[in-house]
Amino acid sequence: MHAYRKILVAASLGISLFAPTLADASGTDYPLTLDNCGHLLTVTGPPQRAVSVGQASTELLLSLGLGSRIVGTGVWFGPLPEALQTANANLPRLADNSPSFESVIGTRPDIVVAQYTYDIGATGHVARPEQLHALGVASYVSPSDCEGKATTAATNADGERHRLYSLGLVDREIAELGAVFDVNPAADRLRADLHRRVDNAVANGQASPQVPLSVLYWFSSSRLAGDPWVAGKYGAPELISQILGLRNVIDSAEEWPSVGWESIAERDPDVIVLASMQRRRYDADDVQAKLEFLRNDPVTRHLKAVRNNRLIVVDAQNLNPSMNVVDGIEQVSAGLRASAARQ
Amino acid sequence: MIAWQRMLWLGAPLSLALVIALAASIGEMQVPLAITFKVMLNGAGLGSYEIDALQQGVIRDYRLSRAMAAAACGAGLALCGAVLQALLRNALAEPYVLGISAGASTGAVLVMLLGVGGGALGLPLGAFLGGALAFALVLLLAGGRAGGAQVILAGVAGSQLFNAMTAWVVSTTANAEQARSVMFWLLGSLGGVRWPDVYLLMAVVGIGWLLFLACARILDAFVFGEDAAASLGVPVVAVRVALFSLTALITATLVSVVGAIGFVGLVVPHMSRFMVGPSHRSLLWATGLLGAHFMVLADVVSRVIVPGQVLPIGVVTALAGAPAFAVILYRRRRTV
Repeated sequence: MHAYRKILVAASLGISLFAPTLADASGTDYPLTLDNCGHLLTVTGPPQRAVSVGQASTELLLSLGLGSRIVGTGVWFGPLPEALQTANANLPRLADNSPSFESVIGTRPDIVVAQYTYDIGATGHVARPEQLHALGVASYVSPSDCEGKATTAATNADGERHRLYSLGLVDREIAELGAVFDVNPAADRLRADLHRRVDNAVANGQASPQVPLSVLYWFSSSRLAGDPWVAGKYGAPELISQILGLRNVIDSAEEWPSVGWESIAERDPDVIVLASMQRRRYDADDVQAKLEFLRNDPVTRHLKAVRNNRLIVVDAQNLNPSMNVVDGIEQVSAGLRASAARQ
Repeated sequence: MIAWQRMLWLGAPLSLALVIALAASIGEMQVPLAITFKVMLNGAGLGSYEIDALQQGVIRDYRLSRAMAAAACGAGLALCGAVLQALLRNALAEPYVLGISAGASTGAVLVMLLGVGGGALGLPLGAFLGGALAFALVLLLAGGRAGGAQVILAGVAGSQLFNAMTAWVVSTTANAEQARSVMFWLLGSLGGVRWPDVYLLMAVVGIGWLLFLACARILDAFVFGEDAAASLGVPVVAVRVALFSLTALITATLVSVVGAIGFVGLVVPHMSRFMVGPSHRSLLWATGLLGAHFMVLADVVSRVIVPGQVLPIGVVTALAGAPAFAVILYRRRRTV
């Protein structure tokens, strides 16, 4: 392992040690007040009825063993991971996409947990936090989507980050939700488990090449041969790159900037990571279509990553900021190992 | 014809070729001019130079195809604008005023977000059908023998209707990321253009151009009003329907490949009229050539103005077109 990666991994572990101590062994002291995405969140006791808006939030609540307290869900991307499916076959679903304000309120929740500020935020598609608070409903938005990140008129709809996404934000969200729901031991176990998995992925990663491999993360494209949406330099994919010692060829602060293939050809990445997803809105959503394009396009078929078949398929949700990024680290690490074995 | 005009006719196709060559040599990837030249010689069958496959691909299959498509789109949109302005005797007429782009967007959105057509209907075909349908609807709204003003008003109403339908579908089914892609579609992009698209565009625009030229005299007559045209023995209704359909077909095809690109159809005919006068024989030639120049250059600007990123071309055409239009308006005000 390179020295700088050791430091990085140590840093990510360090953050977990300094993660907010919101509870002692006896459990959360209510009332609990947290600063969440620019709003103060106050809970007077463990919430019993939670609406989760965003699949990552739903998965996090399930991982903390809170399935029985979920009274509504929305913003789904695909099926739940197998580990979470069995225990919770029938989650109440308010909408596949953003649920309406009234359908959320109609479940009489005492907290709404959201993945995106797009849904619960200043221009909230579901509600602004104040609207919920006025009705006595608490709201918690993933720090992954507001700390160091903003979506403004000057950015595209996926927003822009001004500092690198970190595992610290994942740790913080788990610890905070653990405290809010008074399930602190479960939160501690989950965090320890994630860090153990990251360490394993790093230890089993690529057979360290002398120069770090360069990488491109391709999510999808509005037209198959058109300018693709690729990962910028601060998002969750960059965290994967840093932990595994890869170098992103894209230098944009936007979360998923749209970049021309000529610019990508100019930077000729060693590895291309492709997002696979259930969604079928654009031709390029299908990972097979992406692979076929890369192998047949008159330019991309000459790229190093394509010629050397260093194309790694990763679940799309593992490239977006949430605890799933740990699955992303594992998948990319395994992909690098497999392609190194082929060389 | 005075001498400098003759020079212009000879020079214009040549300068278009030069502008396309320029477009093929400019881009994010640094390629020496000599290599660009060799790639073009290879492509024209005039050479067999050994060239790095990546560079050859970028120049031949990305930039050159893109520039040719831009030229075809620019010419097509400008020609449709010139013809509609004559048919409707209205200086504001252009394809998008008549609801075609609004309809194409609705068609694209229906396919993109609702999966209308179950995958058999691709995005371009959806846009084509939507655009053609909107145009037919606008003509129907305007009534069979409508004058220029009615058709424009019908176009405004039709655009509103289709925009509302698009907004409805987008706001009920799309999340932020999907809405952005719809937005991108509306603004137009030459990013995904490859050679097969270029052949389609060039065939449609080329045939349309010839047919328009064949009708140049008739268009001259229309400028003086339908009655004047009828008194000259022009079968007014038949010609109108035929020319309207042709502009709809061309525009819908363009929109289905590159999305909606505004201002070209409006501004370029006026610029051309300013340069060569109102006679359609020369006006149609000038409009097509000028439109092609304008769009190729606009695309170059859209590719290089922000490093590492491509601006939607509609932004550039509007930014360049609006001031040009203002200048023309100002000059006309002084002469009237």
